[in-house]
Amino acid sequence: MYDAFVVALAVFVGVAGHEMFGMSMLSRPIVVAPLAGLLMGDIQTGLIIGASLEAIFMGVVNIGISSTAEPALAAGLATAFAIKMGGNVDAVIPIVFPLAVLGLQLLNMIFSFVCGPMATNFLKLAKEGDEKGIVKLHYVIWFVHYGLYALIPFFAVLFGANVVMTVLDSIPPVIMNGLTVAGNLLPAVGMAMLLRMLWSKNLAVWFFFGAVVMAYFELPLIAIAAIGTIIAIVMAQRDLQLKGMQASPAQQGQATTVSGNQEEEDFFQ
Amino acid sequence: MKLTEGISKDEKKLVRKMFWRSMTMYASVNPVTMGGGGFSYSMMPFINHFYKNEEDRVAALERHTQYFSTTVPCASFIMGIAASMEKENSEKEGFDVESINAIKTSLMGPLAGIGDSLFWGVWRVVSAGLAINLANAGNVLAPIIFLIMFNVPNYLTRYYGGILGYSLGSKYIEKLYANGLIEILTKAASILGLIMVGAMTISMVKFNTTLSFSMKGEELMSVQEILDSIFKGIIPLLVTLGCFKLLDKKVGIIKIIFGIVALGIILSLLKIA
Repeated sequence: MYDAFVVALAVFVGVAGHEMFGMSMLSRPIVVAPLAGLLMGDIQTGLIIGASLEAIFMGVVNIGISSTAEPALAAGLATAFAIKMGGNVDAVIPIVFPLAVLGLQLLNMIFSFVCGPMATNFLKLAKEGDEKGIVKLHYVIWFVHYGLYALIPFFAVLFGANVVMTVLDSIPPVIMNGLTVAGNLLPAVGMAMLLRMLWSKNLAVWFFFGAVVMAYFELPLIAIAAIGTIIAIVMAQRDLQLKGMQASPAQQGQATTVSGNQEEEDFFQ
Repeated sequence: MKLTEGISKDEKKLVRKMFWRSMTMYASVNPVTMGGGGFSYSMMPFINHFYKNEEDRVAALERHTQYFSTTVPCASFIMGIAASMEKENSEKEGFDVESINAIKTSLMGPLAGIGDSLFWGVWRVVSAGLAINLANAGNVLAPIIFLIMFNVPNYLTRYYGGILGYSLGSKYIEKLYANGLIEILTKAASILGLIMVGAMTISMVKFNTTLSFSMKGEELMSVQEILDSIFKGIIPLLVTLGCFKLLDKKVGIIKIIFGIVALGIILSLLKIA
């Protein structure tokens, strides 16, 4: 019970602290594993696990929903199992990658189906001007998101990893697959909200431009940002020229009327 | 310091408040607004300071609760610019409020690109590499050294980014506005924003059908291939535009989300996806 609690705590401090303190990397294995080890009374095993997992997961960064694995859960569980097995680090390393992949799937489920619906209240509260409500919701979502996630290591350590896998396997694959399909489509809502802010009939074609470039050239986002910046600058330069041309006929017009007046004055003289 | 030139003491205090609040931007991360909740939380000190009128305050709050996503260390720079624009809006009649979100959206993509590769691609790997060596040698300070090494530049970027954004905004937004250049800038920002949203629609919204036409157990052609031959990413594009239409018709977001969940399960049951 104590072990289960402290491992859950280490994972919670990691993933929740990471988001709370400005993506501070608290959720990396190099932090979570020694922390779990410290709380379980064997920081050395924690350090070794942390170092090995950090090297394995070096390339894995959690950005919203797009990632392959969530290493904090893997680090917490690997440390717990290794310490329980008397410091056998090598035996737990092979099981952690599936754990991390599973962890990310579960985290994404919470993200999509708990945080998503809760977050729709942000817009409602903003419309009502309820600032306290927004602040409260901001922190409640944070706590629910990672609190729910920390329950996984808690029960995993309490019952052992096998039981957790059995429970997950008992969910019909059709439903799991459906939730994954839905999770992959959900970012469309965020994109649609951005479109509502930016869409205008004259400019909408640029949305399709971005889509075509991404779909067929598969460039990294930063490259598309660079291309977009160049296009935006060219368009701005053209607009500036147009503005200049609009301004100059007006000046010419003024000039002719002025000269016309002079002619009139000349005539009347 | 030159950076804070022309910014009053009150405003400096507000920027500092925003800096602390911006730490938590992704605490309420979610698929609907991403960091939108955190963004409006960070902007509140400014909103309350600039707007005395309830209606304007609510409008500003709504503006900043919209979808927002970028690399966190770079977020405060955009917040600083947005704050300076809110100030301009509170002082000038007829300010084009659309320009605020256009600038925000056009900045978030490029800054995310730079920030992701700099902080997560380079600096995190360097810090972790050092910490792994220390941990393997059994040094208990390894995690702490890792955190300090990664976070000092992280926090400095955030702090000075906020001040820089605000002072740049204060210096230039007014001039741009007076020259009528803000319209051109807003249009350019919207173009860049739309291109980024189009690209993100393809890269972030994902759909693959497993459906295929087969004859005598032999697969003739997969439907995904047919879809791809019409236009790659046609389904993500259509789903996004569908959501856009629904939002336009004032359908609630929560309904759309549950609609998508139901759609996913139905597609899975029908063995389409």
